Amino acid sequence: MNQENILVMNSITKSFPGVKALDEVHIEVKKGEIHFIVGENGAGKSTLMKVLSGIYPYGNYDGDIIFDGKIKQFHNIKQSVHDGIVIINQELALFPNLTVYENVFVGHEISKGSLMDWDETKKQAKKYLDMVGLDVDIYRYVSSLGVGKQQLIEIAKALSQNVKLLILDEPTAALNENDSANLLKLLVDLKKQGITSIMISHKLKEVEAIADSLTVLRDGKTIIRMERKNINEQEIIKNMVGREIDDIFPKRPIYKKQEVVLETVHLNSYDKSVNRYIVNDSNIKLRKGEVVGIAGLMGAGRTELAHSIFGNPKNYKISGKVIVHGKILNLGHPKNAIAAGIAYVSEDRKSDGLILDEPITQNITISNLKKISNSGIIDFFKQNQYAEKYIKDIGVRTPSILQHVKNLSGGNQQKVQVAKWLFAEPKILILDEPTRGIDVGAKYEIYTIINDLVAHGMSILIISSELPEILGMCDRIYVIAEGIQTAEFNIKDATAEKIMESATV
Amino acid sequence: MSTLKQFGWKIQKYFLTLMSMFRTNIREYGMFIALIVIFIIFSFMTDWIFLGAINFTNLLNQTAYVSVLAVGMTLVIVARHIDLSVGYIGAFLGAYVVVSVENGFFLTKILTAIPGVDGTHWLIVVAALLVALIITVFVGIIKGALVAKIKVPAFVVTLAGMFIFKGLLMFQTNNGTIPTTNNFFKQLGIGYLPTWEVGGYDFITLIIGIVIIGVLIFNGSRTRNKNNMLKIPNEKIEIYITKLVLMISVVGYLAYTFSSFRGISYLLLVTAIVVSVYHFMTTKTTLGRRIYAVGGNPDAAELSGISVEKITIIIFISMGILALISGVMFVSRLQSASPNYGPFWELYAIAAAFIGGTSAAGGVGKVVNAVVGSIVIMSLKNGMALSGVDANLEPIILGGVLLLAVVFDIFTRNVRPIDYIGIHFAKKKFGPQLKETQLLFTKAKLELKEAKRENKENVIDYEYKLTNAQGALNKVKDLIRTSKEKDFIIE
Repeated sequence: MNQENILVMNSITKSFPGVKALDEVHIEVKKGEIHFIVGENGAGKSTLMKVLSGIYPYGNYDGDIIFDGKIKQFHNIKQSVHDGIVIINQELALFPNLTVYENVFVGHEISKGSLMDWDETKKQAKKYLDMVGLDVDIYRYVSSLGVGKQQLIEIAKALSQNVKLLILDEPTAALNENDSANLLKLLVDLKKQGITSIMISHKLKEVEAIADSLTVLRDGKTIIRMERKNINEQEIIKNMVGREIDDIFPKRPIYKKQEVVLETVHLNSYDKSVNRYIVNDSNIKLRKGEVVGIAGLMGAGRTELAHSIFGNPKNYKISGKVIVHGKILNLGHPKNAIAAGIAYVSEDRKSDGLILDEPITQNITISNLKKISNSGIIDFFKQNQYAEKYIKDIGVRTPSILQHVKNLSGGNQQKVQVAKWLFAEPKILILDEPTRGIDVGAKYEIYTIINDLVAHGMSILIISSELPEILGMCDRIYVIAEGIQTAEFNIKDATAEKIMESATV
Repeated sequence: MSTLKQFGWKIQKYFLTLMSMFRTNIREYGMFIALIVIFIIFSFMTDWIFLGAINFTNLLNQTAYVSVLAVGMTLVIVARHIDLSVGYIGAFLGAYVVVSVENGFFLTKILTAIPGVDGTHWLIVVAALLVALIITVFVGIIKGALVAKIKVPAFVVTLAGMFIFKGLLMFQTNNGTIPTTNNFFKQLGIGYLPTWEVGGYDFITLIIGIVIIGVLIFNGSRTRNKNNMLKIPNEKIEIYITKLVLMISVVGYLAYTFSSFRGISYLLLVTAIVVSVYHFMTTKTTLGRRIYAVGGNPDAAELSGISVEKITIIIFISMGILALISGVMFVSRLQSASPNYGPFWELYAIAAAFIGGTSAAGGVGKVVNAVVGSIVIMSLKNGMALSGVDANLEPIILGGVLLLAVVFDIFTRNVRPIDYIGIHFAKKKFGPQLKETQLLFTKAKLELKEAKRENKENVIDYEYKLTNAQGALNKVKDLIRTSKEKDFIIE
């Protein structure tokens, strides 16, 4: 064992019913370095961090955690925090209805006896917020701040707990380019102050930029540990997927112009809850058999545009028109959009796409119950036949069509969502972040499905935060910034730089 | 000898299959077990009077009004809401119908002006029920709209409704008890279907029982055949037949019991119709599918083209109609309307739904199970009264049962499939390995203890050894525990 190591996790094995999430995983982290853990979804990264921070208590896993030269047996997260291991999860653990300074010290309040010492709390909070470079009024409510700033508050909170090892689980997933860059710079600064960090990330550019070392996990096993000098993107991908990927995007013939099937004309949507226009004079066109991308930063109004077209479920105040196949679309309820042949595969499959506690059959057929029923009575044999057919066509891997959706992996859940909408027999398909949180293999399958659909005359609108995906899959691209449509590119003119430039107006 | 052995193994295999199925689906069967245990305990305490024809008929008649409410409440809870107002709404509507029929009230008063129509005329009852239906649908729409459109929490809306209808009930009854005289109330509340007695048994009840059994057998085999045709897995034949035999014996026992007393009461008939309609609606229709989708994930349902508002309003209307039925049943059984009726009805219904396994998080719950839940509740009341237990104990025990049921539900939420036949074979296969790893584990434990006592420098090495041994042991144990035969439960 190396003296320098602050953390060694030795042959960690953790099983869930039916799957081994971690299989003899071994990682070493040196004092004062930034260590990345990379791997596909389901590789076991988050599980490993949950073992480390005591969320999965000692006894729930096999193997040893050696932190600061001692074997640790954490029974809960409080013990790991006490020893200086702080984890910041993807879903931030802040209290939106408390102020900034209250949030920094929630859980380890500064008190005199049993009374809160608010003066000291504010003073200390200011100190730690300065350390993370966050200049914000400490009296503001956290709910009024953006995700980037909230993340910094989480880090300030960690610092206030004398953190020795900071764990960040996909911290930049929800951040825009600017905030991401800030965060990475902060981590490098913290490193200079002697704070070790472990970071889980999908963004290999980040890894290349600041990693001192990294561990690749695949299928719950440690594949390789790389040092700074050996780190390069190609090598990481090769180890992550266990195979070379030279072409992530399946090819499609060049698009030949056909008639327009969907058009927005001066479409404006006003959101009363935030008091601003979230879609501002949108004029987009989608043609038959075409794949059109909507690019833009998080919060630019892309999902809101999709919602406005798809029957306005959030009750925005809308002006302007949506024209589908030459007819004006009634924007009263999603059911009108569905009747007009539009389908919308939502961004967040768990919160507003699938009914997790119900079987695949129910989830697929809910979009078009008429197809499996006679005067309101369901024909179960028809239902099962259709479900079998659709999961076979789409390639959902499941032991049975009666499997509850919550038991499927992310990629398979996403495919069920797509199957559900194909079951409604749409002519226009809106895909909102179709490959978020699914692994490289499943991504390729989704892309293949997209190509297959447009070859059969469907028109597809893709909303995505991943520029390579937009550039690799679309025939035409619209860029949106703060609700305003700022640019339109044909695929042959588009580059990542040009899109980013238009997106950050 | 070998054929004997083979036969023995077949029997053992049969029981192991049943146990596997039972263990894997324990969540579904827990409540039935509770019911059986309660039945057995009270039967012993009352010298079998409890399950006798008279008391059992009586018990189901007492349960009728709670069952009907619990059916509606299940849907309300499935849709992630609650309805506290239905107790007083039911009591109010019951009182409204009684007052309309007995004393004449608005429409019924006008009708009596028609020559030949008096208070005993059937038209009067129909008119009273019709107006009550209009009232309850209207109230349901208001409740549903407040909850779905204006987004007032259902708890608050229906709490307000509870107070309002308590007051209306007091107005309607003028703070006094109103006895019923009309034949309608007498028939519905304490009447029985016409009987055809042969040798002390009612033949009509027996025939109904036989028809139900026939339908069960026919339906089951039809589904199995169709599944076979479509290559959809069926339950193992032995499980299917065991279940069928159990169901037939329950139906048979009920038919026999009812026929030896007075046959089937109208209260039971109405309950059975309500439950059948709702069971069909929730399991076989698109409306049912939509209700469960809205409960399971409202956002996803809305984006799937389902109008969550409309479904919510429908659910509250349905709850209101069931409250009307429940209220009329109650006043009929007690042959009076009273300002004292109403309290706790809604709470019994909510408790019945939860005892029946309805999830408070929404999206999960069966109406038939809620009816079993209400039978559990009323059995406790009835059984304790019958066996002479202090009446003050009853709510305490009911509370305990409710808590137990919900805790059981939470504990069994993530039960994983267990196949005892698979385990049986795995034990044979991995037996030696298990023994070996167990030995190594005990050895490592002792060595670590020794090392600690002697304060050796390399204690950590012994700790490693122990964790490794434990890991190996756990692996083998896991292997055995999760072993499954290919044709586990299904075939």
